[in-house]
Amino acid sequence: MGEITSLRDAIADLAFDGATVALEGFTHLIPVAAGQEIIRQGRRDLTLVRMTPDIVYDQMIGAGCARKLVFSWAGNPGVGSLHRFRDAVQNGWPVPLEIEEHSHAGMANRYVAGAAGLPFAVLRGYVGTDLVAQTPNIKPITCPFTGEVLTAVPALNPDVGIVHAQRADRAGNVQMWGITGVHKEVVLASKRSLVTVEEIVDHLDPRPGAVILPHWAITYVAEVPGGAHPSYAMGYSERDNDYYQAWDAISRDRDAFGDWLTSTVMREVRAILGDQA
Amino acid sequence: MDASRAEVCVVACAEAWRGDGEILASPMGIIPRLGAELARHTFAPDLLLSDGEAYLMAGDTVEGWLPYRAVFGVVAAGTRHVMMGASQLDRFGNQNISAVGDWARPRSQLLGVRGAPGNTVNHPTSYWVPRHSPRVFVERVDMVCGVGYDRAGGRFHEIRLVVTNLAVLDFDTPDRAMRLRSVHPGVSVSDVVAATGFPLAVPDGVPETRLPTAAELALIRDRLDRDARRDREVP
Repeated sequence: MGEITSLRDAIADLAFDGATVALEGFTHLIPVAAGQEIIRQGRRDLTLVRMTPDIVYDQMIGAGCARKLVFSWAGNPGVGSLHRFRDAVQNGWPVPLEIEEHSHAGMANRYVAGAAGLPFAVLRGYVGTDLVAQTPNIKPITCPFTGEVLTAVPALNPDVGIVHAQRADRAGNVQMWGITGVHKEVVLASKRSLVTVEEIVDHLDPRPGAVILPHWAITYVAEVPGGAHPSYAMGYSERDNDYYQAWDAISRDRDAFGDWLTSTVMREVRAILGDQA
Repeated sequence: MDASRAEVCVVACAEAWRGDGEILASPMGIIPRLGAELARHTFAPDLLLSDGEAYLMAGDTVEGWLPYRAVFGVVAAGTRHVMMGASQLDRFGNQNISAVGDWARPRSQLLGVRGAPGNTVNHPTSYWVPRHSPRVFVERVDMVCGVGYDRAGGRFHEIRLVVTNLAVLDFDTPDRAMRLRSVHPGVSVSDVVAATGFPLAVPDGVPETRLPTAAELALIRDRLDRDARRDREVP
């Protein structure tokens, strides 16, 4: 495990039509390149899971990869709405998108339960909201000790969990630092996983506050420098704020989005096929 | 020194955290953020404030590390007071930030429930509405994300204040329906009533929202918001 491979081969092996796929990342270390590789490989009917879906999920939804989204916040951070996401929910374009909404803590606790091999998580949220009636995955549960009625949400165990990290060693051990969100939890909770990294090094020297994912907890590691762009990898790159601003205009319009898809993400497909021909 | 409407709003937001002690203040929006910073610099020095990413800041000094994942522990422990936005808000303080229209096929899909279901039942929550209008203040919200007083909010539920560009509102009534607490200088009670899409509890003699002190104005203008970002949120 922790096998070092290419992004293309990892996605080809891990992601299948109809899979439940979680690409996680918060503020930085967002696995954008991996999401775009899923678009390139033409995966369909995915259930996408993420606490805070941003532009990479907008791109995947706009490209028709997803049939369902499980989330707690969906937006273009610092800019506004995700227009491809809204078009899918409001107008069913390019395909209808079912949504399952949770609170932030609900999502985080679902991953924690999944990582721990427990069937559900328990928390105090949700009581009194309309989510309870809309969502079969939110149920009341009575504390056996105090009698307090709380909420249970089932464990999340995605078929595929994908995160980006700073680096890995040649044995496939991964090291990340900065805001690590639920990186650890989603990798441990997922049946199979991929970590894209900025670089593969001989030795992981200690960093304050770093999280280590051991090679045996990870399916694949792929070296993808800049794989978090336009988000950043602390210590390696800066956030590309202009990209997020530009995405607003591109994503507002179906044709502009189509042109973007053809001229960026899909152009690499032709380049790859051209190499092989 | 005449205070602008935005500056009155900053002070009104600051007042939401008065007396909270050593808790995490989580302001969403420019004016709530300035309000929390103003409170911290003046009458609420124990407040913990994030830099918006993962550091807890005391002015320019880092005083703690509170990454996203750890905030949920703080929420569950109740040692936090958030001021959130609201796309819709009803007379009992139910808040909607998820979708306008029918949830299954909304007219407008918004950003999602985010932390509202957990925030409102675990610790005090206040709301900031930069444009007070009947589109926001509605008889019934289309989807309850943050829990109001007519629902089972539980023992930690508290909707403290609603601050808008026109007024300050609270729920200090026998049936916990929304009440007009004060009107900002230059705003009449009838202005607020007209901009509210449900019958508002209006006590006799609604006071004016307090003006910023000279020291508070100096802090806002010369230290906290030299670029006048506040004027973009409330012109």
